[in-house]
Amino acid sequence: MSSGETYRVRMSGISKRYNAIQTLDDVSLTLKPGEVLGLVGDNGAGKSTLSKVLSGAVIPDAGTIEIDGMPVTFSSPADSRAARVEMVYQDLSLCDTVDVAGNLFLGREPRRRIAGISFLDKKRMHEQTRQMLDRLGIVIADTRLKVENLSGGQRQSIAIGRAASFEPSVLIMDEPTAALAVAEVEAVLDLIRTVSARGVSVILITHRLQDLFLVCDRIQVMYEGRNVAERLIGETNIEDVVNLIVGRKFNARSATNRHRDGAPA
Amino acid sequence: MSEATHSAQSRKMREGTWRDMMLANGSVVSIALFFLVVCIIFSVATNAFLTSPNLLNILRQSSPLLIVAAAMTFVITTGGIDLSVGSVLALVATLSATLLQLGLPWPAVILAMLALGALLGAVQGYFVAYEGIPAFIVTLAGLSVIRGVALLITGGYSIPVEPGSPFTVIGRAWFLGVPVPALIALVILAIAYLAFNETPFGRYVTGIGANAEAVRRAGVNTRLMTLFVYVISAAAAALAGIIIAARLGSGSSNAGQGFELEVIAAVVLGGTSLFGGRGTIVGTVLGALTVAIIGNGLILAHLSPFLTPIVTGTIILIAIWLNFRLFRGAVRSR
Repeated sequence: MSSGETYRVRMSGISKRYNAIQTLDDVSLTLKPGEVLGLVGDNGAGKSTLSKVLSGAVIPDAGTIEIDGMPVTFSSPADSRAARVEMVYQDLSLCDTVDVAGNLFLGREPRRRIAGISFLDKKRMHEQTRQMLDRLGIVIADTRLKVENLSGGQRQSIAIGRAASFEPSVLIMDEPTAALAVAEVEAVLDLIRTVSARGVSVILITHRLQDLFLVCDRIQVMYEGRNVAERLIGETNIEDVVNLIVGRKFNARSATNRHRDGAPA
Repeated sequence: MSEATHSAQSRKMREGTWRDMMLANGSVVSIALFFLVVCIIFSVATNAFLTSPNLLNILRQSSPLLIVAAAMTFVITTGGIDLSVGSVLALVATLSATLLQLGLPWPAVILAMLALGALLGAVQGYFVAYEGIPAFIVTLAGLSVIRGVALLITGGYSIPVEPGSPFTVIGRAWFLGVPVPALIALVILAIAYLAFNETPFGRYVTGIGANAEAVRRAGVNTRLMTLFVYVISAAAAALAGIIIAARLGSGSSNAGQGFELEVIAAVVLGGTSLFGGRGTIVGTVLGALTVAIIGNGLILAHLSPFLTPIVTGTIILIAIWLNFRLFRGAVRSR
């Protein structure tokens, strides 16, 4: 556990058991500043649990977490937020009937005090929202639009933009491109690139393996609660990753079909 | 509409904005139409309707409804409901008359009654927000228990308030040519409008109705907020009880029978969604006034007052149906 390394995040020996099921078994994870790590594995491989440990939503039975070389213990999401770890949940955490600006600033609205009572500073909120969206390249016509009237990709962008606006050093995204139209996936992947170019380390959990090769620097594969492999993106291809995920050697048809999306073998 | 000229802003998005405006205001537009239609009909059909004494009288009589409906808008927007407001009104009306008879000074009585309302709301809000019992059940129990306490205290009789007591000023006096209850209602409505639309609290009320988990994750104490809306509605019901006892000059344990349904009707008529997440104070005011005007106008037109519930119910159904068909707004399933 030396602090001489330049790791933004260093998790080691993380274990978590739910009754009879060992969800995480001595898992480690490292993440450098500005790096995009793809965390993959089949359902139940433990990737969501691992990300929840880092976001403070799950407390591990064993293991240590270091952020920028400093050992930390997270007992709630508020702790991890204080350590500048943000998570974009799969169900987005957006309020449909609240406008774009209101969602971006939910819980920390700009306020102005009049006669000792704090009111929403809507003008400032909408101005700052516009700046924030422009900075991240998110295209939304009007910050007064209610979120329910946005497309799936726009909603995802708002959720990511919201997390990014906390100026996190680590951003965890759980399936951000699931159930999106093709063009919208591109926009969300662009957004991930923009965020990481700003120095944010990103952990991307996804089942869309082709996305990994478009944005990730490195891939970590989990299988039944253990780390099974780590690959730099230039040193692997989709077939390799699929084989690692399913845990045995087989000629995955789903992989060969999409082979042209993959990185050079 | 956005004036911001964004190169990437597509036509589809602009239409979306326009549609959104319709959705956001559609429910208010439809109740405003009903309000105007009802006003015009009664203005034409009766000579007495469109006179300032009558209009002020409507405001005076509907002030308890306006006050509690404004508070109920908060409750319903969180996705909850408060069925106990009629009972709280009755308990406060009887208790305030009782306490005045015992010789307590009237300012103390008012403060004590508002505090009692807030306490009753806090107890119910606790069970809703912290124990997770559905609001319908908690406040249904409240409706029964609180009315029962009022009946027990009075033995079913109404308790008179001394006619000379300054307490009756609240219900009967006029100030600057306007009835005092109407002025109180006006102040409460202004506060409710500001709180609902311009404060973080109002924003969280809407957010809790839309996605409570998202608001909780944003670091907001959603349970306390939820508890608080029940404090607001019960305190508003207590205020309404004070006004009614002062106006009638007596506290009756049978006051406010069915009041909760009248309040909920006004709120829903105004376009607030019973599913939560969508509420409008302006709509609620129009809804409450429409209900009040129908009752007043039918009497002026020498029609049976028993037509009031029939007409009100019909208008609720038609207004919501129009809203659903034309604007696809307030009651859209989510």
